[in-house]
Amino acid sequence: MDPSRAASTPSYGPPGDGGGPAPEFPAGLRVLLVDDDPTCLKILDRMLRKCLYDVTTCSRAAVALSTLREKKGWFDLVLSDVYMPDMDGFKLLEHIGLEMDLPVIMMSADDHKDVVMKGVTHGACDYIIKPVRMESLKNIWQHVVRKKRNELKELENSGSVEEDDKHKRSLDDGDNASSGCVGNWKNAKRKKEEEEEEMVEEHDDSSNTKKPRVVWSVDLHQQFVTAVNQLGVDKAVPKKILELMNVAGLTRENVASHLQKYRLYLRRVSVPQHHSRFDAHFASAQEVTYNSIGSVSGYDFQALAASTQLLPHNIAALHSGPRSATNTGMGVSAIDQIGFLNSGKQVTNSSNIISSSVQQINSRQMSDIHGPSNNIELNQHGQSQQVVQPFGSINRQFGEGTTKFFSSPSSELTNFSLPRGTINGQPNNSLARHMNQHGQQFPISQQRSNMEITWQGQGLPRSRGQLLTETACHDSRLVSALLQQVPSNNIPNHVSGGLETSANMLTSLPANYMNASCSTSPQALYPDVHNSFITGLAGSCYPRVSSIGATPQTGSVKALSNSSNLKGMDNHVPNYDIIAEQHQNKSQDWKLQNVNLPYQSGQNLRHGQSTIDCRSSLMGNQDSTSSAKNGFNGNAGTVVKNIISTGSDTDKEKRECIVQHKTNLVENCNRVTYDGIPDFSYQDILFEDNIITNELMNVVRKQQQEGIEQVDNEFNFNPPV
Amino acid sequence: MALHISSALAVSARLHPLLRFCFHNTCPEMENASGLQRQLASMKKNLFDQGYLDEQFNQLEELQDESSPNFVEEVVTLFFRDSSRLMANIDQALEQCPRDFHRLHKLLHRLKGSASSIGAAKMKNECTSFGEFCSEENLEGCPRSFQKVKKEHTILRQKLESYFQSLSLVPSQLLRQVGPVDKATPSCS
Repeated sequence: MDPSRAASTPSYGPPGDGGGPAPEFPAGLRVLLVDDDPTCLKILDRMLRKCLYDVTTCSRAAVALSTLREKKGWFDLVLSDVYMPDMDGFKLLEHIGLEMDLPVIMMSADDHKDVVMKGVTHGACDYIIKPVRMESLKNIWQHVVRKKRNELKELENSGSVEEDDKHKRSLDDGDNASSGCVGNWKNAKRKKEEEEEEMVEEHDDSSNTKKPRVVWSVDLHQQFVTAVNQLGVDKAVPKKILELMNVAGLTRENVASHLQKYRLYLRRVSVPQHHSRFDAHFASAQEVTYNSIGSVSGYDFQALAASTQLLPHNIAALHSGPRSATNTGMGVSAIDQIGFLNSGKQVTNSSNIISSSVQQINSRQMSDIHGPSNNIELNQHGQSQQVVQPFGSINRQFGEGTTKFFSSPSSELTNFSLPRGTINGQPNNSLARHMNQHGQQFPISQQRSNMEITWQGQGLPRSRGQLLTETACHDSRLVSALLQQVPSNNIPNHVSGGLETSANMLTSLPANYMNASCSTSPQALYPDVHNSFITGLAGSCYPRVSSIGATPQTGSVKALSNSSNLKGMDNHVPNYDIIAEQHQNKSQDWKLQNVNLPYQSGQNLRHGQSTIDCRSSLMGNQDSTSSAKNGFNGNAGTVVKNIISTGSDTDKEKRECIVQHKTNLVENCNRVTYDGIPDFSYQDILFEDNIITNELMNVVRKQQQEGIEQVDNEFNFNPPV
Repeated sequence: MALHISSALAVSARLHPLLRFCFHNTCPEMENASGLQRQLASMKKNLFDQGYLDEQFNQLEELQDESSPNFVEEVVTLFFRDSSRLMANIDQALEQCPRDFHRLHKLLHRLKGSASSIGAAKMKNECTSFGEFCSEENLEGCPRSFQKVKKEHTILRQKLESYFQSLSLVPSQLLRQVGPVDKATPSCS
C-alpha cells in the first residue's frame, strides 16, 4: 500500500471556490478521508463519490493534518480511522478539534463500547463501525450542518441577537438541504465566523469606548460561575445571573458578554478533551485538561492530573481554581484542580505559565494588571499545573498565582511536555530546566526554588531544546516566572550574554511569573499541531521570530525586531521595557509575537504551515482585540519575542525556549480565549508586552481561532463593559 | 424455444439494450455466455450461502458501474495483497516475546476492518474470535485462532479467484447484468 497523499479530487462540483455553482446540497460536501487501509480507503472513496461528495483521501494522519492546515477552511468534514500506524486516530481527532474545529467522524471495525466512548469523549461527531455501508455515509452531512447551527446559536446566546437571527435564518435555509441553499451553509459558516469576529470586536469596541471596563476578577468570575452553575449552563440568562450575583455596578451587558465568552470557552474545552495529542506529552495532559474542562461538573480531577498535558483549558481552570473567582467558571474548582492535578509536573508548569500568560493576554484586563501582577493565579495553585490557559477568569491576577505555580512543580523539568510535541519534547524540557534554574535566580517570590531559569546569564548552555525541556520541568512555573519576571525587573539580570534576552525577559518578569515554566508548558500542552506554533517558539523561536516578523503585521514586526535584538541582552531589554508598557505596544507586538513564535520554531517547519496560518489568524485577531489585550498579549508575546530575538544560537536556544514557552503559553491562551485576545498570552507573558505578547497573542489567537474555544479568550479578557 | 427466446428478449429488453441484441441472436457464444452467467451466479450464491461472503459484497457490487467496471475485482485484489502483508505482521507480532498485545490488537482490527469491508464474513468472524483471545491475552489461544484466520483467508482467496476468473470469461455486456444480480439468474436460464 502506498501512503498516497491524496490530492484533492473533487468529484462533483467546484472544489474550493467557496461554493460557486455548487451542486445541490449535500452534494459537493468536502470530505477528507483518512485511513491507512488501502482497501477501505478505496471502498469509502468510491462510496463517498457516489454520494456526490468531494473527496480527498489520505492514508496517513500526518499528511491529513498538514492538508487540513494548508487548506484551512476548505474542508467540511473529516472521516478518520481509529487505528493508524503513524498516529492514533484520537490524537488526530484532538488536533483537528483544536486547530480546525471540524466535525470528525471516526470509523473502525472495533465496536467495543469503551472505544466508541473514547471517540465520543474526544469529540467525534459520530462513530461508524466497519464495514461501512452506503447508507451510513449518505447522511454524514448532517454533522456539518448541526455544527454550524450550534456555533451560531452560541454566538446568539451571548452576542447580538440581530446578527444571530440573520445568520440563523440563513443557516436555516441551508439546513433545508434543498437545492436552492447549497451555498447557504457555506455562507452561513463564513458568516458565523465573521459574526464571531464581529462580536468580539464589538465587545472590544464597547469596552474601549464606552463604559468603564469591568474587570472580571477571579472573585467576580467565581461568582459568575457559581451563578451560572446554579441556573444551569444552558439555561443561564444574563439577567438571572446578574440577579444571583448581586454585584453592584455590574450591568446585564457585562454579564451577557462574559457569558458568551464563557460558553464558547466551555464549548471549546469540551471538544478537545479527548483529542489525542500526537505528542505523548501533550496527549496526556491535554486530555486530562480537556476532560476536566469539559466535564467540569463531573470530572475527576485526578484524571486531569494524570494527563500531563495541560490544556489551555486547564490553565484556565487552574486559574479559576485558585482564584476562586472562577475564571473559568467551569466548575472552576474542578478545573483548577485538574490543572494542578495534571501536571504535577510539567503540566502544572505549563499550565501555570499558560494561565499566567493567558491572564496576561487578557489584554483587557491587562490594563489593570501590571506585568507582575499577572502572576496569574496559577501560582496559587502552586502546582505547576500548567493549565494552559486559565480561562478568562484568569484576570490579571496571575501575577501571584503564577509564581505559585512555578514553585510547585519544580522538580520536574522533564515532565513538561511542551507543545512542541514530539519534537520539542526534549528541547522543551531542557528549556524548562534552564528556565527553572535561572528562575531561581530571579527574585521570584514564590517558591521558585524550582525555577531554575537556566537562562539566566548562564549563556544558556543548553540548547533550546534543553531549555525548553528544562523549563518544561519546572515548567510553566519557571517559565512564567521568568516571563513574569521580565517585566518586573526584579529579577536580577542574571541572564547575561546569550540569555540576555531571555534574561531580560526573565528579569523583567515578576518573580512570580513562572515564565519559564510557562513557556515550556505551553508547548507541551499543545499537541503537535500546536506545536508548530510552539515549536517555533521553543527552539527556533528566535530565528523564526525574525522571519515572522516579516510576515506579521507591521506592528508586530516591530515587536519582533525588538526581540530580535535579543542577541544581546541589551537589545532585549528594550523589549522588556516594551513589555512593561504592554499596553502600549499592544496588539501589534502582541500579534507579532504570537505569530512569530510559533512560526519561529523553525524546527517545526512543517508545523510552520499551520502556525503560519495561525499567525495570520492571530494577527488578525489581535488587531481586533484591541490594545488592551495587547497589554496582555504583549507580555506573552514579548517574552516570547525576547526569547526569539535573542537570536544568537546559544541564547537563541534559551530564548527560544522561553519564547516557545511563551508561545505555548500564548497559544494556550489563544486557545482558550480566542477572542482575539490572547488571554493566555497574557499570562504567559507576564512580561507583557509587546514582545512576546504579540507573538503569543498571535499564537494564542491562532489557536483560538483554530478551534480553541473562543470562550476562553473571552473569559480571559475582561468583558467589555 | 421460440417462447423461450421471446421471453428472454423481453427480459433483455428491460435489462440492457445490448443484451437485447445478444439474446436476439442465439449464437453459441451467447449460449455459452449465458451458461457461464449461470455458473457465475451459482458460484456467487454458494459463496453467500456458505457464509464466505456477506451483504457487504453486494454493496461493493453496487459501487461498480461504467466509470469503474472492475471495481469489485480491484478491491478484492487489493485486499488480498494488503491482508497478506498484514497477516505476516501479525505472525511476527505473535512470535514476539513478550507479546505486544496492544500492537496485536491494532493489527487485528485493521485486518478485521479490511475483511469486513469486502464482505469476507467467515474471515471476519475468525478475526473476532482471534481478537477475543488477544484481549484475554491468551498466549496459547492466540496463535491457534490466528491459524484459523489464515485458513479462511486462503480459502476465500481461492474461491474469489476462481469466481473472478469465470467473471472475466463472460462477455462484458452480460457481465453488467450478472454483476449486480444477486442470486437470481436472468429469465433466460
